[in-house]
Amino acid sequence: MQKLFFILDVYDEYLVYFRIMRKFFTGAELVIECLIQENVKVIFGYPGGAVLPIYDELFKQNSIRHILVRHEQAAVHAAEGYSRSTGKTGVVLVTSGPGATNTVTGLADAMMDSIPIVCISGQVPTHMIGNDAFQEADIVGITRPCTKHNFLIKDVKKLPEVIHSGFNIASKGRPGPVLIDIPKDIQTFKTRYNGKKSLLKKLTYKPKVLKNHDHIDEAVKMISDSVRPMLYIGGGIINSGEKASKELLNLIEKTGFPFTQTLMGLGAAPTSHPNFLGMLGMHGTFEANQAMHKCDLLICIGARFDDRITGKVSGFSPNSKKIHIDIDPSSFNKSVNVDITLQGDLKLVLSKINKLLLQKKIKFSSEKYSDWFKLLSKWKKKDCLKFKKSEKIIKPQHAIKRLDELTKHLNPFFTTEVGQHQMWAAQYLTFNKPRHWMTSGGLGTMGYGLPAAMGVQIAHRNALVIDVAGEASILMNIQEMSTLIQYRLPVKIFILNNHYMGMVRQWQELLHGNRLSESYMDSLPDFVKLAESFGAVGLRAKKPSDLDDMIKEMIRVKRPVIFDVWVDQKENCFPMIPSGSTHDQMLLGPDDKVDDAISEDGMVLV
Amino acid sequence: MNKNSNDHIISIMVDNEPGVLARVVGLFSGRGYNIQSLSVSEVDSDKFLSRITIVTSGTKVIIDQIKAQLLKLIPVHNLVDLSEESSFIGKELVLVKVENMKKNRKKTFDIANKYNVSILNHSKKELILEMVGTPIEITIFLKKIRPVGIIEITRSGLVSMSLGRDYIKKFI
Repeated sequence: MQKLFFILDVYDEYLVYFRIMRKFFTGAELVIECLIQENVKVIFGYPGGAVLPIYDELFKQNSIRHILVRHEQAAVHAAEGYSRSTGKTGVVLVTSGPGATNTVTGLADAMMDSIPIVCISGQVPTHMIGNDAFQEADIVGITRPCTKHNFLIKDVKKLPEVIHSGFNIASKGRPGPVLIDIPKDIQTFKTRYNGKKSLLKKLTYKPKVLKNHDHIDEAVKMISDSVRPMLYIGGGIINSGEKASKELLNLIEKTGFPFTQTLMGLGAAPTSHPNFLGMLGMHGTFEANQAMHKCDLLICIGARFDDRITGKVSGFSPNSKKIHIDIDPSSFNKSVNVDITLQGDLKLVLSKINKLLLQKKIKFSSEKYSDWFKLLSKWKKKDCLKFKKSEKIIKPQHAIKRLDELTKHLNPFFTTEVGQHQMWAAQYLTFNKPRHWMTSGGLGTMGYGLPAAMGVQIAHRNALVIDVAGEASILMNIQEMSTLIQYRLPVKIFILNNHYMGMVRQWQELLHGNRLSESYMDSLPDFVKLAESFGAVGLRAKKPSDLDDMIKEMIRVKRPVIFDVWVDQKENCFPMIPSGSTHDQMLLGPDDKVDDAISEDGMVLV
Repeated sequence: MNKNSNDHIISIMVDNEPGVLARVVGLFSGRGYNIQSLSVSEVDSDKFLSRITIVTSGTKVIIDQIKAQLLKLIPVHNLVDLSEESSFIGKELVLVKVENMKKNRKKTFDIANKYNVSILNHSKKELILEMVGTPIEITIFLKKIRPVGIIEITRSGLVSMSLGRDYIKKFI
C-alpha cells in the first residue's frame, strides 16, 4: 500500500513537472499556479484595473473558484469565515487603490483575532508608483500595522517565493493576515517556476512551536498543589486545531477542573460540559467571573488577558498563581503578570502536561476540591442569565434560546455582528464543537457576520449557517445579500431588531445620564421587503407565539432568509462588569445600583 | 559607559529590505514606546543584513514587551539588549561647525586637544570639528565649545557593541 502511495506521489510530481517546468510564466499565471500549489480552492474578490491580468488567468482555469463579493471588506470577512470554519488559509483578491483600502478593516479584524488570510492586491505599474497615479494607494504602508507581514513585489522572479512565504507566514505560529501587493507590469512579465518544493528552503519563517520548558515540572506541581483551580481558555485552542481540543478535553476530564472560555474560545471544549462555568469577562456569567476572582490557580490556555476579560487589571484574580500557555511570547506579562509561562503550540504543550500528570500519577480526588465545587454551585444558583419572560413581547434572550433549542440537533454554524445580540448569542447558544462560532472578538467589527456566514456556507454547502445580527449591524454589509443570491447560499440572518444600537444605548444609559445621542435608528428598511427585493425570503415575528414556527420555517426554506425578530426595545445585556471594575463587582440586572459601580477612572475606558 | 538602569540599548539584526525601518519605528510609535536615539546601516552586504541600534527606556515589563514585539517582526533575525550584557561600548559621533575668530582660536584648539577632537575643515570663517565619544562626553564637549560660537551641530545615534563574542552566535 505504501509503495502504491509512493508511486502515486512520484507520478504526481511528474505531472507537476510537465505542467509547469520548462515553461515561461507571466506573473499573473504564476499567481494562479502558486495558489493551486497552496491547495487553494476558493478565493473571494472584486476585479479592477490593476488586477485584470490575474482575473484573465482566473477565467482560463477550473481549479480555483472565485466568489464575487459586493464590497472588498466583505471579501476579507468572507475569507475569515471560510478560514475559521475550516482551518485553512482564506484568500482574497482585490484591485489597487480603493479596492485595497477597503480591505483594511477586514485585515485589522483578522489581525486582532489571529486568522490566517492572504490578501493579494493589484498595484499601479512599478514605474508609476509614487506618482499619485489613478487608483494608487500605498497599501503596504497603510496595512503595515494591521497585517502580520506584507510584501510589495518589485521583481517577477521573486513572485513565487513571496506568495509561498505569504502562506507560510499567515498560517504558521500565531496566524494572521498577510498582504501581497503586485504591480500590474509585474503581472505581465515572464519568468520560470519550478514548483513549491524548490522554494521550501527560502521559507525562512519558522516560529518555535515547542521549546524546552524548564518550568513545566513546576507548573505540574502547581496543578497538583492547588485546591481552587480554574482553566481560562481562549481562541488559541481553536487555532491550534482539533488535536488541541482533544488534549484540552483530556486535561479537563482527568483533573475535573472547572473551566471558562473567552468569546473567541467558545466551542474549544463543549459548552454543555458539566464543568463549564460559562463565558467570562464583561458580559460573562457570575460564576465564571467569581471563580476567576477567587481561584488559587489560574491556567490561561491560548488567551491573552484582554481588557474585556480582566476588567480592572490591578484587582484581577488577586490571590491566584498563574500559568500562561501561548504560542506568542509577546502575550506573556503584557497586561497581567504570571508566575509561569510555557511557550509553544498548545496541542504539544497540553499533551506534554497530560503525559506528565499521568507519569507522576497525580490524583485528583473529589474531596480535595469539594469546598471549591460547593462554592461554584452556590454561585451557579444565582442563575445570572435568567430574564423576565413575557407573553406579549419577544425577549431577545428568549429568541436566542429558542433558536438554540430548535437548531441544536442540526449542528449549525453561527456568526454574529457586534453588539448586544452578539453577547446574547455568546451567552445562550450551545457550542459543542470548535470552528462553529465565528464572531469579531478583538476588533469588534459591525458588519462582520453576514459576509463571514457567506464564507462559512461556501466551505460547508449543506450545513445550516445562521448570522445572529442586530438591525444596525446588518445594514453595514447588507449589499452581500446580492452575493448570497448569486451563489445560492442559503444563509439565515436572524435579526434581533430593537430599533436601537443597543450596546451604545446601554452605555449611554449607564454612563451618560440616559442621553441617547444618535443611538436610535429612525428610518429602518422593511427587512421582509428588503429580503424579497434581493430575491431572498423575508420573515417577521412580533409575538412570542409566532417565534417557534417561524424559526422552523426559516430552517426549512432552502434559500437565504432574513428573519426580522421584533424584540423588547428596552432590554439590556446582563450580567455586566462595568468598565474599571473587578470581577466581583458585577451588575446582575437592571435593578442593580450603577451609581457606585462606575468610577471616574472607568468613565474614560471603552 | 555608565549604566542607567532605565535606558536600554537594543541592537537588532534585520534583513536589509525596503520598509524594514518603517516596521521597527512604526512598532515603537504605534505602541507608544519611546525612541531616544536610532542608528541604522547595512553591516553584511552578502547576507543583506542591517544592524539597528535603538536606545529606549521603560520599566522591565515594557522593555520585555518591546523585545517580544520586535522579535515578532518577520525581517527581524534576532536582537540583543546590550545593557543586559556584562560590559559594552557605546559611541556617538558629532560634527560641529564653529566660528573661526582670531580671539577664540586658541581656546578652540585647546578644547579640541583636550577632548581628542579632529578638525575636518579649516576655512577663513568656520571650523568643522568632529568628535567620537560616549553621549555624556559629547554633551560635555558641546557645553565647553559653546562660548566659541556654534553655527550648527549634527549628531549621530548611538552605535554599540558588547565585549566578548559569546552573544554573537545567537544574535545572527
